[in-house]
Amino acid sequence: MMANEVNKINKMNKEEMHTKRVLEPLAWLFQLISGLILTVLVTFHFYETHFVSHEAMEYELVVSRLSSLGHKIMYALLLFFVVFHAFNGVRAILLDTNFGAKYPQVVNSLCFLAFLIAFGYGSLLILAF
Amino acid sequence: MWQRWFTVKGRSLFSIAFSLHRLTGIVLTIYLCMHLAYLTSIRMGKEVFESFIATTVTPQFLIFDILLILAGVYHGVNGLRLIIHEFGLAYESRKSILYISVAIALIVWLIASYRMYVFVMGV
Amino acid sequence: MDVEFKIKRFDGEKSYWQTFNIPVKKGMTVLEGLYYIKENLDGSLAFRASCRMAICGSCAVKINGKPRLACETQILEIGNKLEIEPLDNFRVIKDLVTDFEGFFAKHESVKPYLIRKDDNYEEPVELIQSPKELYAYYDFTLCVKCGICYSVCPAAATRDDYLGPAAITAAYRFNADSRDEGEKTRLALVCGDNGVWRCHFAAECSEVCPKQIDPAKAVQKMRFKAAIEAIKSIFR
Ligand code: SF4
Ligand code: FES
Repeated sequence: MMANEVNKINKMNKEEMHTKRVLEPLAWLFQLISGLILTVLVTFHFYETHFVSHEAMEYELVVSRLSSLGHKIMYALLLFFVVFHAFNGVRAILLDTNFGAKYPQVVNSLCFLAFLIAFGYGSLLILAF
Repeated sequence: MWQRWFTVKGRSLFSIAFSLHRLTGIVLTIYLCMHLAYLTSIRMGKEVFESFIATTVTPQFLIFDILLILAGVYHGVNGLRLIIHEFGLAYESRKSILYISVAIALIVWLIASYRMYVFVMGV
Repeated sequence: MDVEFKIKRFDGEKSYWQTFNIPVKKGMTVLEGLYYIKENLDGSLAFRASCRMAICGSCAVKINGKPRLACETQILEIGNKLEIEPLDNFRVIKDLVTDFEGFFAKHESVKPYLIRKDDNYEEPVELIQSPKELYAYYDFTLCVKCGICYSVCPAAATRDDYLGPAAITAAYRFNADSRDEGEKTRLALVCGDNGVWRCHFAAECSEVCPKQIDPAKAVQKMRFKAAIEAIKSIFR
């Protein structure tokens, strides 16, 4: 490895930015927690739409689910956790590369933006009914 | 080079489990975006939604559904395995836990695929 | 018995495969095979070795796709066709010799030595440790810095500045040492985005480590500690 990379490591270690030190651990922890929650929520979502009855996907039923408060909350949680988990996962993948090493801020902001857009777009549906 | 995330030659099952986890993660992220776009049809009214359902809940799409279930189930079960270890537990039995989780993933996948088959075929 | 050695060579510009046939006796190691080639068939073959007894960590190469120490791998255990390549994830300098400078720099960067407030080299005092305290970290002291773990790590494959399993294991080894007082310093050192967060428990390092010291376990423990430490720091 080249000398400048060695320098980079030393520099990195010297001036650990505070945000960086909290962002990575929290993102890691929350990835595990959201993963745990998702196994429950996704299983339930799949169960409800495919296991219970063949009619589960009829328009009226879908709309009635979307209009009930309990389901709204469930869908909002599912949406939040799944979008977070997905784009934090993408973030981790990108940070695994030299590109991510060079532009961590770009990766972080892009993934956060993607999270916001996907979450916002999904919420439109929950709010529509 | 990102291709090395998917190196199989000379590697143990653990690396393969990692490769699959990453692969299914990417697949599921893409599916998530497609799913969110698809659901827009609900907002566009009964006719649009029903035409979407009529084209996608079909025997032709069943194979994709089943593969998607495989990706989801694998990612979920393997993820639980990772959580156990990343929270600092049971490294010593990680081999048996790996085998068990693969077995669980296969069983859940078969059950879910069968239900999907029933669901799509309407039997 | 003749064994085929197919070696991936690199002369600074191009890499190519070259095959040698060498006579092998029972018990002969891959390293002895390489020396045989260098002494009798092709003096230009470059590889690294020193102790020939698996304690210096110089001779790690990839043998039939799996990284191993050449000096502790017997040829006939592998078979009569060997494919030998330099380690992955390291820049190749010549033939089987790879560039370890970055690997050692990373090792150094986690401060792998005892940190104590009362350091006094003029009048050193004995530091007492019970067997139990010793065994808390003993296994991790066995690392020979061979780089094998680093060579199979998928995160190290794509990110050059990832500290890697060996360096993080070294940090853990000193953090787990009851005589050490540098835990906070080292936790901060491995807590950057080139540190513990890049591990996704592919756990291949633990599978290939010739000393079986389980670097993956050290990385998980280190990460867990680092996470707790970082979260505590929010409230301070
Ligand atoms: S942890 Fe094992 S594989 Fe890694 S450098 Fe040390 S001895 Fe080699
Ligand atoms: S020559 Fe020292 S470890 Fe092989």
